[in-house]
Amino acid sequence: MTTSTERITPPPASPDPRVHAEARPRREWGVVPWLGVAIPGRQSIRVWQRNRDVFLQLWKAEFVPPLLEPLIMFAALGLGLGTYVQLTGDVEYIQFLGPGVIAMFSMFAAVFEALWGAYFRLDKQGTYAAILATPTRPEEITAGEILWAASRGALNAAMIMLVMLALTPAYDLVSSPLALLTVPVAFLAGLSFGALGQAYVSQARSVSQLTYFFSLLVMPMFWFSGGFFPLDEFPAWASTAAWFTPLYHAVEVNRALVTGNVGWSDLGHLAWLVIVVPPLVWLALWTMRRRIVG
Amino acid sequence: MSAIIQATGLVRTFGDFRAVDGIDLAVEPGEVFGMLGPNGAGKTSTIRMISCVLPITAGSLFVDGLDVRLHDREVKQRIGVASQDDSLDEDLTVAKNLAVYARYYGVPRDVARARITEGLELMQLADRRDSRIDELSGGMKRRLVLARALMNDPRLLVLDEPTTGLDPQARHLVWRKVRLLRERGVTILLTTHYMDEAEQLCDRLMIMDHGRQLAAGSPRALIEQHAGRDVMEVHPTEPDRAAVLAYLANAIGESGRIEEIEDVVYVFGAKEEQAHAVEAIVRDPYRVHFRRANLEDVFLTLTGRALVE
Repeated sequence: MTTSTERITPPPASPDPRVHAEARPRREWGVVPWLGVAIPGRQSIRVWQRNRDVFLQLWKAEFVPPLLEPLIMFAALGLGLGTYVQLTGDVEYIQFLGPGVIAMFSMFAAVFEALWGAYFRLDKQGTYAAILATPTRPEEITAGEILWAASRGALNAAMIMLVMLALTPAYDLVSSPLALLTVPVAFLAGLSFGALGQAYVSQARSVSQLTYFFSLLVMPMFWFSGGFFPLDEFPAWASTAAWFTPLYHAVEVNRALVTGNVGWSDLGHLAWLVIVVPPLVWLALWTMRRRIVG
Repeated sequence: MSAIIQATGLVRTFGDFRAVDGIDLAVEPGEVFGMLGPNGAGKTSTIRMISCVLPITAGSLFVDGLDVRLHDREVKQRIGVASQDDSLDEDLTVAKNLAVYARYYGVPRDVARARITEGLELMQLADRRDSRIDELSGGMKRRLVLARALMNDPRLLVLDEPTTGLDPQARHLVWRKVRLLRERGVTILLTTHYMDEAEQLCDRLMIMDHGRQLAAGSPRALIEQHAGRDVMEVHPTEPDRAAVLAYLANAIGESGRIEEIEDVVYVFGAKEEQAHAVEAIVRDPYRVHFRRANLEDVFLTLTGRALVE
């Protein structure tokens, strides 16, 4: 044991000063300078797996609402209100409703996960802090969360598809095997919803602020994306506004897949859904990195 | 053998606030190194930089020879961190919490299984394997966080205020576990604002305040150098104060130091006969304490303030 107080000896500058000096141009923690974020790696999958494990732990509570809510909507709007609705052509309202229900409820699943779930993990449960202490970068937490939100969306779509297939003998809801592709479409759209949710959560300072995202963005999308009624009768600006939302394009693609009337315009909708993913994911990575790292 | 942690002129700012203001640090393999200081001293910021969750503002910082700016993954792979907030996954069982954590480190499944069993036994949680987190007491949660920090078999264990908020019994159990880990050769860096914890656990420590390092060394060396062997604490009544100070000023001379902090008079490096003399002045033995110096006194002499308000 030392008997006098020592001034801690200054350590040598660096084990390899050359590497140190070269790498200084801000590649800190893998951040790509022109992107401002690091490219997420496979740790994202482990974050995804953590969420999956929690979900499976709670599956009994998590499985029922996604089945029940669309059923209620089919009953209330499809069979109730729908009997008073006269659409052009010989399409029943419940048939018109189906593709929208898939898109809307998988949006809800993704948004709930990316908003409330993520906010609690970030701010209340300390989950992000715990993960960050492991060899996981902030960007990989965000990427894992977005992937998980999209997965929840896809899972919801699959469950609704099962409900629709069960109802098809009675109400003729599904008329093409292409309808199964609505599940990957839900995943694709879920990436956008998840990224938007993460970006918003990165700015949120309280749970109540999350409600704004829901009221100002999600609910208008829900009602005005062509899932409940065609947008043709609205002024042009309304359908223009709808064009900028992911949900509108998801509804359109789903409608084509469920009915089997697939055209070139649907490829456009699909392209829209693909193209917006990188910028939205970047936005989420960048904003969330600033929130987590400070 | 080179140091596990080497920091030179380490700085972290938040806006204009200098949370860590130029710290030099060298932690050797196998030792328990403590950072002692009040809340806001910069302890947590320092260990967050060491564990690569907070970027450094200036200076240099190497963990196990790796620059934290460039090798965040590798550094994290070698460190186990037990943070002050428990941050356990409430929805998962005790064992599953550890399994999920081991997966972040890429620990193979069979290795993880063995480590989980070992870690739970080490932390006396084996019978809690399948419990939910909200069924655990505060002390159990803290021990589980310790077990979790061991999942990657770390070279360096970082403990941020390991016993804050625990009752005395739970604290002693955590201390025993920390000593057990040191005997196994794990290097430990811990922060605390309890001087008894620092004295109990640390081979060497650094006393911090306002983001700066005030002194560093072994607890005994720090006490001898800054507080002397013995301390007299006098709580005089207002009328007696002047007489006490007059006596002390005359009696102590070069051999000790007098500090007035709030309404208490401290004499560092006091002698027993001086205490008897002061007792005679204040006419009340309960107003005079003569005792061995401790780390609290070191902090007092260095800052003129108490460690824990």
